[in-house]
Formats: sequence, C-alpha cells, structure tokens
Amino acid sequence: MNHFPEAWGRPRDDVYGAYDHSYLQTTGPKAHTSSPAVTGTSVLGVKFNGGVVLATDNLASYGSLARFTDVKRLRVFGSNAIVGFGGDVSDMQYIDRLLESIDIRENYSHHGNMLNAKNLHTYLSKVFYKRRSEFNPLWNHILVAGYDGEGEPFLSSADLLGTTFSAPHLATGFGAHLAVPILRRLFPEEMPLEEVSKEAAIEALKQCLKVLYYRDARSMDKYSIAVITKEGIDIKENEVIEGTELGFC
Amino acid sequence: MTSIGTGYDLSNSVFSPDGRNFQVEYAVKAVENGGTAVGIRCKDGVVLAVEKIITSKLLKPGANKRIATVDRHVGIVSAGLVPDGRHFVSRARDEASSWRGVYKGPIPTSALANRLGGYVQAYTLYSSVRPFGTTAIVAGWDSEAELAVDGQVGTGPSSGSGGKVEGAKGGGPGLYMIEPSGLYWVSSTSASASSPIYHPNPTILPGGYYGAATGKGRQAAKAELEKLDLSSGNLSLADGVKEAARIIYVAHEDSKDKEFELEMSWISSVDGPTKGRHEEVPKELREEAEKAAKRALEGEDEEEEEKMEE
Amino acid sequence: MFRNNYDNDAVTFSPQGRIFQVEYAQEAVKQGSVVVGLVNKTHVVLVGLKRNAEELSSYQKKIIEIDSHMAIAIAGLASDARVLSNFMKQQSLGSKMTYGRPIPPGPYPQTNTQHYGKRPYGVGLLVAGVDESGPHLFEFQPSGLTHEMAACAIGARSQMARTYLERNLDKFPDSSRDELITHGLRALKETLSQDKELTVDNTSVGVVGLAPEGSKGRIESFKLYEGQETVPLLEALERADGAAEESMEVDS
Repeated sequence: MNHFPEAWGRPRDDVYGAYDHSYLQTTGPKAHTSSPAVTGTSVLGVKFNGGVVLATDNLASYGSLARFTDVKRLRVFGSNAIVGFGGDVSDMQYIDRLLESIDIRENYSHHGNMLNAKNLHTYLSKVFYKRRSEFNPLWNHILVAGYDGEGEPFLSSADLLGTTFSAPHLATGFGAHLAVPILRRLFPEEMPLEEVSKEAAIEALKQCLKVLYYRDARSMDKYSIAVITKEGIDIKENEVIEGTELGFC
Repeated sequence: MTSIGTGYDLSNSVFSPDGRNFQVEYAVKAVENGGTAVGIRCKDGVVLAVEKIITSKLLKPGANKRIATVDRHVGIVSAGLVPDGRHFVSRARDEASSWRGVYKGPIPTSALANRLGGYVQAYTLYSSVRPFGTTAIVAGWDSEAELAVDGQVGTGPSSGSGGKVEGAKGGGPGLYMIEPSGLYWVSSTSASASSPIYHPNPTILPGGYYGAATGKGRQAAKAELEKLDLSSGNLSLADGVKEAARIIYVAHEDSKDKEFELEMSWISSVDGPTKGRHEEVPKELREEAEKAAKRALEGEDEEEEEKMEE
Repeated sequence: MFRNNYDNDAVTFSPQGRIFQVEYAQEAVKQGSVVVGLVNKTHVVLVGLKRNAEELSSYQKKIIEIDSHMAIAIAGLASDARVLSNFMKQQSLGSKMTYGRPIPPGPYPQTNTQHYGKRPYGVGLLVAGVDESGPHLFEFQPSGLTHEMAACAIGARSQMARTYLERNLDKFPDSSRDELITHGLRALKETLSQDKELTVDNTSVGVVGLAPEGSKGRIESFKLYEGQETVPLLEALERADGAAEESMEVDS
C-alpha cells in the first residue's frame, strides 16, 4: 500500500484502478455556479393606492433543511426603494453590498440619493443580465418596490436571467404558483389601483403568506413585511403568521 | 540658503544641499493662499468649517460646496488648490470603498488618514508629478455601537454561546490634517493608524488633532483653537459649531475687504443629531452661529475702542 | 524663451505656489470667441458668438448638445472641447443605459494637471443642464476649477458681458424664458467691437429647462437655435432695445 501523503484519501489503485486525473484538470471549460446553495423562497408584492407592500418569510433553506430562521430578505435602498430577494442568500448579500456602495456614491452628490425604484430596477436587471451572459448568474429572483420618475407606485421583478416583468401584484418562487392566483382573484385586472387600499393589500399578502406556509415546504411562519408610501418606508421584520392550525398534520 | 536661482527648486523629488525639498515648500505656499479651514474635535462629534471667498458676484450663492463626504461617516475639507482637493477626496472615496470591499464595513478614520498620508507623500517622490497644493482636514466618527457587517441578513441564534464582550465600547471622533509633504499626526494613545483595532477607552480615542486649522488665516485660527482647552474633552458638539463659525470669522478679519460664505459640516455620535453620519450643519443652526460670531467680533472691537479711549 | 524658470511644465510650483502652465492655459480660453450662460428659475440659456476663418468658410460651432437635458458652450481650443464633449456624451449615455435616468449635471472630478507630459485642456466650458432640482449652469476652467454660476461669460472680451450680467443679475430669476434669451443676447452684444453686430450667421442660442406645469415629461428638451431660427430672437432683442431707448427719450 502506498503511504505517501499525495495518495491519502485517494481510492486505492489496486482496488479501483488508476486514478482518473481528468477530473482535476485546470484547463478546459470552466464551470461557475450551477445551482443555488442556501435559498430563500417566495417574495410577494402588491401595489395599492399610493404605495406598494412587499413581504417575505424569514427562512433560508439549505436544500430541504430549514437552516437559518432569522434571515431578513427585504432590503431597504436609500429612502425610496425596497428590494425583496428570493433565491440564493449569498448572492443576495453580494447584491446588498452593491446597493450599499451605490447608495454611498449617490449621497456624494449635493442632492443625495436621487435614484428611484424604477432606476434601481433597470440597474439590477442589467446586473443580472450581464452575469448570466457570462454564464455566472446571480441566483435570485427579486421584486423592486417604490416609485417611478413620475411619483407613481412602482413594482417590478427581475430574475437570474435578466428577465423583467411588471404587474400590479407579483410573486416569485412558489408564490408565483400559489399566491398570484389568490391575488388575481382579490384584485382583478379591471379593478383600478385607486380602489385598492393599503389595508386590503396588507391583508391579501398575509393571506398569501399563510397559504404558502401551509403548502410550501421551504417556508416558515416568521415573516417580514414592508409598506412603502409617500410618508416613507415602514418595515417590520419579526412578524408571525397568525391563526395557523397544524393539528391536522 | 535661498531657494530661488539655485536650480534645486525647479523639480520635484530633488533635495537641496541643506536637505530641503523646495517644490513641497512651494506647494505649501499654495495652501497658505487658500481660504481658511478649521476642524474641531468635540466630545460627542467633530465639526468642520471653511471660509469661501466670493471671487465673483456671478457665482450661485450656497451652491459651490467645498466640504466633501467620504463613505458616510467622514468629512474632508481642504485649503489650497481646489482641483487638487477634489482629487484628494476622490482618492479618499476610492480608499473607503476598497476598504469596504475587503472588510465589509466602514473605514476607521485613522486608517483613512494613514492611507491618504501615504498617497500624498507619493506625490513628493517623482519628478513626473507635482505635490498636492492642498492641506486637507479629515474628520470622522468611528461608530461606538456594534455595526452589522455589510450584507448581514440576520442576528443568528438568540440562545447559545457567543463571542461578544458585554458593554465593550469603541469608536469615537477622529480629526487629522494631511499636508503637501504627506505629513500627518496621530496620537500614540489612539489605535494605530494601520490597524482598525479599537481602543478600549473611547475618551482618549482615536486621536490626531483636537483642533486643526489651515489656509490663509491659520495663525489666527490656531490661536483661537488653543484658547478652547480642547484636550480636556469638555466641549460639546453644539458649542463646537458656534466656536468653529466664530474662528472662521476671526480668521477672516485680515482679509475683511473680501466677502465670504461660511460652509460647515458635522459628524455626531450615533445617538447625536447626525447619527454618526457626516452632514452639512442645518441652515438655521449655521445662521445662528454666524450671528453669534458677528456679535462676538463687534464686542471685541468695542472693547478695543474702549481701551484706546482710556 | 521662457518668461521664468517655473513655467516650463505643468508640474512645477513657483516660489509663490502658482502653476504658470495652468495659468497660461487659462489664456487660451480668452482667445476663443465669447459664450454667455444664464439661469432663471426654470431654464438655462447659452448664447455664443460664432467665428468664421474667412468670408467663404462656415462658422465654428459654439454650442454642443450632450443629451436632451444638457448642452455645453465652448471657448478656446475646439478640438479639446470635442474630446471633452465626447466624454460627456458617453457618460450621459452610460447613465441612461444602466439606470434609465438622465445624468445629473454637476462638477465631476476630472483627471487633472498633476502629471508630467499631460497638458491642461485649453478650453473653457459652460455646462447647462436640468435635473429634478431645476436648472444648473457650471463653468469649467482649464485649471480643473468648476463653479456653479447664476450667470457667466467666458472668451474674448467677455468682461463686458460679465459686467452686464452682474448689473442685471437680480432680474434673471424672475424673467421669462424669452426675456432670459434677450438678456443673454444683450450680454453677448456688449462684447462686440464697433464694426460688428449680431447676425443670423454668427449667433447661436441654446435653451434647456423644466417643462411647464401639466405637460408630458418633466424636461423641456434642449433646443438649439441657429441660422434663420435666430431671427425672431434677434428681433425680440431689437424690440426690447428699441423700447428701452424710447423710454429713455421720454425720461429726458
């Protein structure tokens, strides 16, 4: 038997045949991230008369393991915008630091940070698109909420491919399947935004979070919710879904 | 030995036979022609003030800012060549941003001063560049509260062991002045400029100057700063703002024929008015301080007149 | 051949702390024909006096559009100005591409006069632009100095224009868009030598500002008036001057 250190941990040649060195080649095609590691699930967002509300739960899963139970996935940008992150948590942290550096740079100008949510969404979607074009995507699906240049409520999504999509209510991840139908029933297409109250929007998101908690195995009952209005951003990060009944399990 | 005509003063990075670098000394002359700038380190914050001589009536009043923010918690004001000052600030911002890239947090003021000192000094080493025609005052507040790491998403488990020392405090005000030679002072009690380790006792932290002044009226300003007994650490930030305004007005006495604008900024502790950020002093407060400064000056004049009469 | 030992390059301080090369570059601006800029509450106006090399040649451009919300007026070396305007156009496009917003006008830090072998730009710029906070006018000098101005004039004989601007400074903020143009043209006229006058050929006017309340979009896009388009503007100037003269006669 070979006791030299370079053979430690290697399958024995006499048992398994010579080691296939092609696995260790440093030349040839390079692989970047091909799957997320620690992930957050759905992000939900609804526009209402005069603002937008976003919600996520506080869970970061490692595969099917509920690994971190205190992860805030709604990130505030300046005083004007919120970004809700689904997908890879470390990529979210990278983007969060990117946003921090932009906020610092914007505040160097005399007028402060003048980037609105729409500008931010344009920027982030380009970051995503650039990264996926390099075959090194940031593994997230995000919602950006705030106001556009005309001062109207703004809600739009961007994903790891750089795809953008905008609607009065949006959901990412499992929520795209479970929450959107509920939101569409509550706020039908023909219903003008003026008729959607802040309270109704918040109530709708709470209802969606509850359904998701029941049905999405990567969700939990602790959540964050952020309401953005002209008065500012009201963010609560340690809420608990009320009235859950899991006795039937 | 005079500098002119010897030939030793025509190029940067050249020593004269008596060991002087004349180009650096000439750069200091450019500083001495600039508007006066002062910085005061108070017990609960730092204040910066600068005298902006109005060179033309056509300038937009209040628009041309001379105090710049670096990251969120540092302010820089410089006297001398304005474009050089802007170059300096631009470098400071790059340093602060690269620090964040490595350490995921704000750069300590002392470390920033250290890096900028090195940068300015490098401009005295080569004949292909000229030294900075500015002396810059760098003021900052290193957070005394425990800051989250950039990109931190949660606080972790609420029970179990942790590595935190209860009640430990760091941070505090910092005030540094960097001259065209690259020279700057740090006090030996402070955290060493190259290491971001916080000193356990915030009252003697992070050091540099208690009060700094540069530009045309620096002599008068320094004399006034010395009267304040800053080393005892009793001056509050609110009083510091008033003193800074008064000192700029005193320093302006020698060039009374020229009009000027006063620009002031401050950085308070995390529980103070600016929450640890570098911001412009609010207009009302500045105007109040200016009124008080004018009153103080008139008072002095009257006293002098009385003496003359006697 | 040199005036003194300290003006050979842009990296030598004089014993008084001056940099002569930069000061000389400043002189290049004074060789260029005059441009004037002024601001009211909603608009910025640039006016320029164009020169032609000879009778049969065309006139040198004085006002260059950077973006729909920003333009520059130049005095000095036109080729240096082209380098700078191309740079500004790129920056502006970059901002529109990445953020979907027009770049705010402002003093941006520039590579300066601190390195050997580089010379300062021999051109002065007036930058006019609007952002959410309103109209802005900046003056850029070869030294790297930038100032935000309420009104400004640079180039040959610009002192006369500056005198006019200083005298009438308090009238600008409340004047209308058209009145502001007239003020600009009158400042420009002040700089002319005896045998010259403003014509459709040698006058350039550029205007950019905030759109009137209730209109679509916030910005009234930059508009350059040249050639025949300047006729109504020059006529307005003549009318205003005529009215002023008449009223003076009444006074006497």
